[in-house]
Amino acid sequence: MSADDQIKNYQDLLRQYNILNQLSRTVSSTLDLNKILRIILTGVTFGDGFGFNRAFLFLIDREEKKLLGRMAIGPSSNEEAWKVWGEIQQSSFSLEEYLNSEKFDTQTRVSLLDDQIKKLKISLVQGKEISSCLEDGIPRNVDLSAGYGSDDSYRITDISRIEAGLTEFLDYPKFCIIPLISRTKKVGILIVDNKFNHREITRDDIDFLFMLSQFAASSIRNTLIYNDLKDSLEALAKLNSKLEFLKEYNEKIIESIPVSIIVLDHDFKVTLCNSNSEKLMGRTKDSLIGRKIRKGLIFLDELDLYYELSKVMKEKRAEGFYKTVVTFGGRKNSDIYDIILVPFKFSPEIPEGAVVIIENITKTVRLEQSLAEAKRLSELGRLSATVAHEIRNPLIAIGGYANRVKKKYTESGQINEENLDIIISEITRLEKIVNEILDYAAERKVEHNEINIGKVLQECISLAQAAAEQKNIDIVIDCGSDSISSREIIMNGSFDNLKQAFLNVFNNAIEASETRDKVGICIQLEEDEDGKYLIIKINNRSYLGSEEDAHNIFLPFYTTKLRGSGLGLTITKRIVEQHAGKIDVASNIDIGTTFTIKLPLVRF
Amino acid sequence: MKKILVVEDDMPIRNLYKEELIDEGYDVVTAPDGVVGYELFRKEKPDLITIDIKMPNMNGLELLDKIRKEDKCIPIIIYSAYGEFTQNFSTWAADEYLVKSSDLTEFKNRVRELLDRK
Repeated sequence: MSADDQIKNYQDLLRQYNILNQLSRTVSSTLDLNKILRIILTGVTFGDGFGFNRAFLFLIDREEKKLLGRMAIGPSSNEEAWKVWGEIQQSSFSLEEYLNSEKFDTQTRVSLLDDQIKKLKISLVQGKEISSCLEDGIPRNVDLSAGYGSDDSYRITDISRIEAGLTEFLDYPKFCIIPLISRTKKVGILIVDNKFNHREITRDDIDFLFMLSQFAASSIRNTLIYNDLKDSLEALAKLNSKLEFLKEYNEKIIESIPVSIIVLDHDFKVTLCNSNSEKLMGRTKDSLIGRKIRKGLIFLDELDLYYELSKVMKEKRAEGFYKTVVTFGGRKNSDIYDIILVPFKFSPEIPEGAVVIIENITKTVRLEQSLAEAKRLSELGRLSATVAHEIRNPLIAIGGYANRVKKKYTESGQINEENLDIIISEITRLEKIVNEILDYAAERKVEHNEINIGKVLQECISLAQAAAEQKNIDIVIDCGSDSISSREIIMNGSFDNLKQAFLNVFNNAIEASETRDKVGICIQLEEDEDGKYLIIKINNRSYLGSEEDAHNIFLPFYTTKLRGSGLGLTITKRIVEQHAGKIDVASNIDIGTTFTIKLPLVRF
Repeated sequence: MKKILVVEDDMPIRNLYKEELIDEGYDVVTAPDGVVGYELFRKEKPDLITIDIKMPNMNGLELLDKIRKEDKCIPIIIYSAYGEFTQNFSTWAADEYLVKSSDLTEFKNRVRELLDRK
């Protein structure tokens, strides 16, 4: 190498160091990613700098699986290239001057190349060159025009070693890939070529590009981190204002609902309450906050709120008090309330407090009461109408025959004894009806003792069998494997009442049956975790006709029979319920009608 | 002798009507429900029919309807313990609608009038 060459070499080196110096100074003055990228690419292509024809920048995605085209600088055609370089040579700016000039800052012209690269995505493939250079950090010099097989450690000539998409986009066989890696973190790649003046890329070029890539990568990465941080901070700020909004929103809801809400801390001190609780407590909201719920201050019926609250806080379990009268400081409130106590924690460090939710349900309760009264009155109306009708038939017969007796007596001076018998039997019928009505109306206190229900059933079954024989009806008893007579089935109840209850159902089944029908009586003993039960099913073949008829059958004076008060099943239902039992009826065309009675037992 | 069919489910009342009408000089047949009532209407060919409304198997309104489909002219008195049935259009197919009473004077008058008109 001649002395002149040596001098030129040193001059080139100096120039390039100088450019690096200028670039790094400019880059460090900003945190705008686009500006940084533009500075780097401009530095690489600036005639006074490296002077490459084109430069491309790709950034790696978060998953590190793809390179996304981000920015390109360079002419998109030969004509454009010469024009641009002509302009630059005319201006006497140095690189740094240019970068800091208004011209650079206001450079808004979007180049075709820049547009195209933004659409480009290159999938990284392990083992191929772009992926590998991001692993080992060493730039790759590519010359696809050199022909297959002329690869050396310095040049890549085989197109299949480059990830798909890039070479087609560049449309020029010689280029250099420079990985951008900040410490160990992959940032992206820089690609340069000389498509228009065809200058060969030298080893020195690559060495300097490599140096440039060091600070380019770290400034890009810093900016990315900074932008991420900025975004998170902005999102956080947004979230904060959202939280503020939510807090206000919640407060408005708490204020507007027609329920008193009082929040207490673990020390029974009021920390929050809504305006609705002012009316209830007789104090303003502000004077309520900070006050303590003391022992003996507020009673829910007979219960001290203080103790109920301690229980809720201790057991961390909500508790409800329904239709409660509240006594506040000895002053009884005539209204009725539903009260719910819920354990509540502000934060994990603070011991459990509680929320008291109080709803005034006076209006609802009064409405319920007037509804029940209306229902009672309408039932009474129905009852009177039916009673009147039931009494009318015997009365007509009595009156009619009395008239006949009188007429006959006037005509012949004789009294017709048969007619008198009819009058007497109709009076007996009337008496029976009136007695049943009185029985139903009487709210007699029933004494319950331990009785053998098996014995009650036996008595009823033999009475029913006698009645069934008269009508030529078969009674079929099914007790499963248990024989009722051989064991004691003990329950708490009234022997006479239960006997009446069973007889009513048995007779009902017999009366509803046609001659030669069968009436089935099935008796079962059952046991579950709640206790022991006796289940009696009574089936007859006749179908009640409709769902509604089945539903109505327990109503007073509802009857499908010719004779009878219509009170039998109503009385049975009442007796069964007095014994904490249940009676149901199901009716369909195929199996007829089945009554099911379930009674709780003491033992069997 | 004119023949009257009494359809009534309540036995004492049925007998009361029967005896009273026999006293008036009519031939009387009785039925305890609508089904038997219809059979007797076909078999006995009565001159007048009295029908109670509330009855088992086939009620009085169903029976009235069934008879009227075959015989538009035969006088029919329908009666009930309920006054409210006057509002029921089905009862209009009958010549008279009466509310049951222990005083049978009006009932007997109506029977006579209807038979005279015939």
